[in-house]
Amino acid sequence: MSSTSSRNDTGRRETRTKRVLYAVGGTGAFGVFTVPLAWGLFRSVQPGEVIVAAPDPATFFDLTAENFVALVTGPGNLIRAVGNSLVVALCTAALTTVLATAAGYGFARFRFRAAPVAFALVVASMMVPFQAILTPLYLQMNLMRLTDSLLGLVLFNTTVNLPFGVLVMRNAFSSVPGELEDSAHIDGASTFRIVTSVLRPLILPGAATVALYAFLAAWTEFLGALTFLTDRDLYTLPVAMVNLQQGTYGDINFGYIAAGSVIAMIPCVVLYVALQRFYVAGLASGAVKG
Amino acid sequence: MSAVLSAPAAAPTDAAPARRARSLTHPPRTGLLLVAPALAMIAVFALAPLAFALGISFTNWPLIGEVEFAGLTNYVNIGNDLGFLRAVGYTLLYTAIVTLPILVLGYALAVLVRTRRRGATLLRTVFFLPFVVGLTTLSFIALLEAQPGSGAVNLVLAALGLTDGSTAWLVDGRLATVLISVLVIWGVSGLTMLLLMSGMQAIPREVYESADLDGASWWQQEWRITIPMLRRTIAMSLVISVIGSLLAFTQFYILTSGGPGSATTTVVLHIYKRAFVQLQLGSATALSIVLVVVVALVTALQLRLLRGEE
Repeated sequence: MSSTSSRNDTGRRETRTKRVLYAVGGTGAFGVFTVPLAWGLFRSVQPGEVIVAAPDPATFFDLTAENFVALVTGPGNLIRAVGNSLVVALCTAALTTVLATAAGYGFARFRFRAAPVAFALVVASMMVPFQAILTPLYLQMNLMRLTDSLLGLVLFNTTVNLPFGVLVMRNAFSSVPGELEDSAHIDGASTFRIVTSVLRPLILPGAATVALYAFLAAWTEFLGALTFLTDRDLYTLPVAMVNLQQGTYGDINFGYIAAGSVIAMIPCVVLYVALQRFYVAGLASGAVKG
Repeated sequence: MSAVLSAPAAAPTDAAPARRARSLTHPPRTGLLLVAPALAMIAVFALAPLAFALGISFTNWPLIGEVEFAGLTNYVNIGNDLGFLRAVGYTLLYTAIVTLPILVLGYALAVLVRTRRRGATLLRTVFFLPFVVGLTTLSFIALLEAQPGSGAVNLVLAALGLTDGSTAWLVDGRLATVLISVLVIWGVSGLTMLLLMSGMQAIPREVYESADLDGASWWQQEWRITIPMLRRTIAMSLVISVIGSLLAFTQFYILTSGGPGSATTTVVLHIYKRAFVQLQLGSATALSIVLVVVVALVTALQLRLLRGEE
């Protein structure tokens, strides 16, 4: 038997049984993980009354785009909520990346007296889950006039994502050889110029990781948006959908919820599949929350 | 990975003369200015609320009206707060239900995709998709499919002959717990898979080759080599999923709002309602402080595990 089996890349024997098990298990698991999401896609093109009815072969495949049309014209102003979510997620990604890049550079390359304390504070803040400080945070943001404000939500989301971002960027700068900066300094370049031109290509993967995580976290964030926003015009997509579900706008139409779910899924799936490399790099930095 | 949590001062390792030369190009003041904005954000929106929380927890703090000092009343009352104690009990139960299945499923998926086989990359991507989509959206999808008579969950169970397809999953505490647990196990095991997979791939192949020569079976290799060598990674993914479960909110808010009654009310959901529905902010904040302490302890454990991997 050992003469017919080879070894795989982990150093283990590759047998026929294993190959069969892999094919069967892989196919089964593939179905388990894709079918529910694909089903969600399918639901979004069913009319609301078909979704909640016992399946009838006569109507089950009457597909329609009405749910997506209703995002624009229907109750709940879902298209506006999609816009709000997009603004919040993009601004959060941009602000987090800029602040984390600056701080990462500062921690990686500069010696200043407050550095150990400052860095300890960044790490300590990772231990404070925002879910647990929501009440005082709400009161404080209220005092700062940052509730019912997309800016407030951006600042909140940025803070949640910053500690992870700072760690990733500090690592990115630490892995760049110092000689590069030295020669740029000799040529008279400013700190800003050095980061934005000389170091940029080298730290870009790290920055992409930070931006990707911040965008996805802000796009799917629910508890903060639910707490800080009461003005319907400012609702993000998940909050608008919850209001739709709870009947704030009259009878629930599950078709709208199905369509909203698909809109919520698209950026996540597209960004993840396109930028998987950066996503996995972020995981390796060990700062992901469950 | 190993360098992530080491002290910042460890990065430049120059000798003293070189350091003097370097500080000309890297003046300390610039360093402080670079970290100041991020630090200010964290101080204002994370650390200040924490300090504020301690203060509020010693008052009655109504949203409207006069603030009165309440001493330790809010903390003493936790012992009599049946709703909170029930929420703690429920959260622990939920954590106990989902933790092991997430680990086992994550491990099984990692075993499936750890070798370079045809389609392994695709499978990896697919297994991680639900986690990327996020529990908020997954909960809305589950909401549709949990409806009696029309939802896919019931259709599938009825087709298998297990139920008559009219189960109202979300209006019964036990059934809702089962449904939400299955949703979460399916939704987040992809994260455990990725963490374990990178750990497995880092195990040197010689270890398995020599185990093979010694005649160790697949199971023996798994139990005696893979799992012991992954101890830290397994512990870390456990900590991540436990923290996630202790802080669970979204899936419960969307699918059951903590009901029926308070049957599926988690700690965070209870605190949310206490603060923003009953408007008892002092009491809610005292409960939050308890949660902060518990989660900080678990996170400290996580950071220690991470550091231990160097």
